[in-house]
Amino acid sequence: MTLPYTLRLLCLCFASFFLVHALLGLAAWIVTPSAARVAESMRPRNGARLLLALRLLPVTLAAVAVAGFCIPSYLWLETNEATERVGLACCAMALLGAAVCASSVIRSARALWLSARRSGQYRREGRTLNPSHSLPVTVMNSDAPVLALSGMMRPRVILSRGVLQALSNDELEAALAHELAHRNSADNWKRLALFLAPDIFLFSRAFTRLNRSWAKLIEWAADDDATAGDARRSVSLAAALVQIARMGSGSTASPLASSFLKNDDELPARVNRLLGLAPSSEKPARQMRTVLSVVAALMATLAITVTIQPATLLWVHRLLEQFIR
Amino acid sequence: MGGDGFKADNYLRYFSRDGSKIQSGDEMIPFGKSRSAKEPSAALGTLELSVMEILWSHGESTVRDVIACLARPLAYTTVMTTLDRLFKKDFLDRYKSERAFRYSPRCSRDDWERRRADSLLAGFLCRPEPSRDLLISCLVEAVGQYDEALLDDLEKKIRAKRKELLQKGKG
Repeated sequence: MTLPYTLRLLCLCFASFFLVHALLGLAAWIVTPSAARVAESMRPRNGARLLLALRLLPVTLAAVAVAGFCIPSYLWLETNEATERVGLACCAMALLGAAVCASSVIRSARALWLSARRSGQYRREGRTLNPSHSLPVTVMNSDAPVLALSGMMRPRVILSRGVLQALSNDELEAALAHELAHRNSADNWKRLALFLAPDIFLFSRAFTRLNRSWAKLIEWAADDDATAGDARRSVSLAAALVQIARMGSGSTASPLASSFLKNDDELPARVNRLLGLAPSSEKPARQMRTVLSVVAALMATLAITVTIQPATLLWVHRLLEQFIR
Repeated sequence: MGGDGFKADNYLRYFSRDGSKIQSGDEMIPFGKSRSAKEPSAALGTLELSVMEILWSHGESTVRDVIACLARPLAYTTVMTTLDRLFKKDFLDRYKSERAFRYSPRCSRDDWERRRADSLLAGFLCRPEPSRDLLISCLVEAVGQYDEALLDDLEKKIRAKRKELLQKGKG
């Protein structure tokens, strides 16, 4: 297939993205079971950060490869502005790359639209108790077991009348503290990032386990933040979980919302953990945020240093020339 | 038996195992799906099931091997006919070795159980509304009972922890 200058660049970008992303995605998929085990042995917040970093690593590095190497080398060194033949393999990979990116964008847009629609519905139909507070609480006139943090820019707690009536003051306070912890750690935004990060191949679900492990750990982390080591609060939070589970299966407010009890399967583990009955294997905090920031900064510095070397771009260009055939 | 496929109206009779004698006195263990050309019916009579159990546990066997493992003495021809019937129903593979057939199971016990459950549900769910609703409500109730027991257990733990904290506070 012969393509003009700009389309060739587009083709190379998507093909390179697909190749780098697929290789790194496969590597991430292989290490997922070990990473999940390691993450569970850490403090939940740090474990969740580790899993999120692993999940976002393939897409981030693939984007860096395209933006940092592929585009500059092509723009700087590609002299042939006429049409040129592009190999079938390169075209196929470009199409797959475009499809993978498009599917994740569509998925995220759909999740955002659903989330916005639900938030609007809650605002219209519910009664907001504290509109001026930084964390508004909206009560819905329903008996369904709804307790979730919904919304992105200005998240609010959505609470059903049934939940309000079922929980005691202590339980409600602990449950609201749990949702506040989700807001403070911007978990809804992280959910959106997971939606935006493509899977390895179109229609594959290779990262389901990683996503589930991350979701479990952010719930544990929010539990820890809400209780802050207070045994009475832990018991109240455990009681709130059981009360809501008694009301029926966990209701999902929207794909981007943080539900208080999303997955009934996790209930025994969460309750036992809060009651201190689960064996604690958490290692002491190792300043995971600092470590991850340092690693990211080092990688970025390395990438920039390598990219600005003319020899690197020359080498990348030669590689792309081979690739395009 | 198997070739006729399972009739939905007979389901409850088969399920309660209280009647329906078939062929050589076997009592039918239910199975719900009509049999396709390739896929064998999952229905097995009690003798057939006993024979399959032996083959699942001992692997490849001859008629004499099976007779030796049976709990009750049976004629050679009865067991041979049963094995032949299971072969024709695609439950068994066989090959001739020294003038005798050697039989081996084509599917594992787990596969058979899964197929049984699948076809039981499929057979029931394609029936008219009341039966379907009955099955679904039974399943929901069963799950609900499990959940209730689990929640009761968790609540007991919470009460115990509260008591412990109260005692600590007083102490």
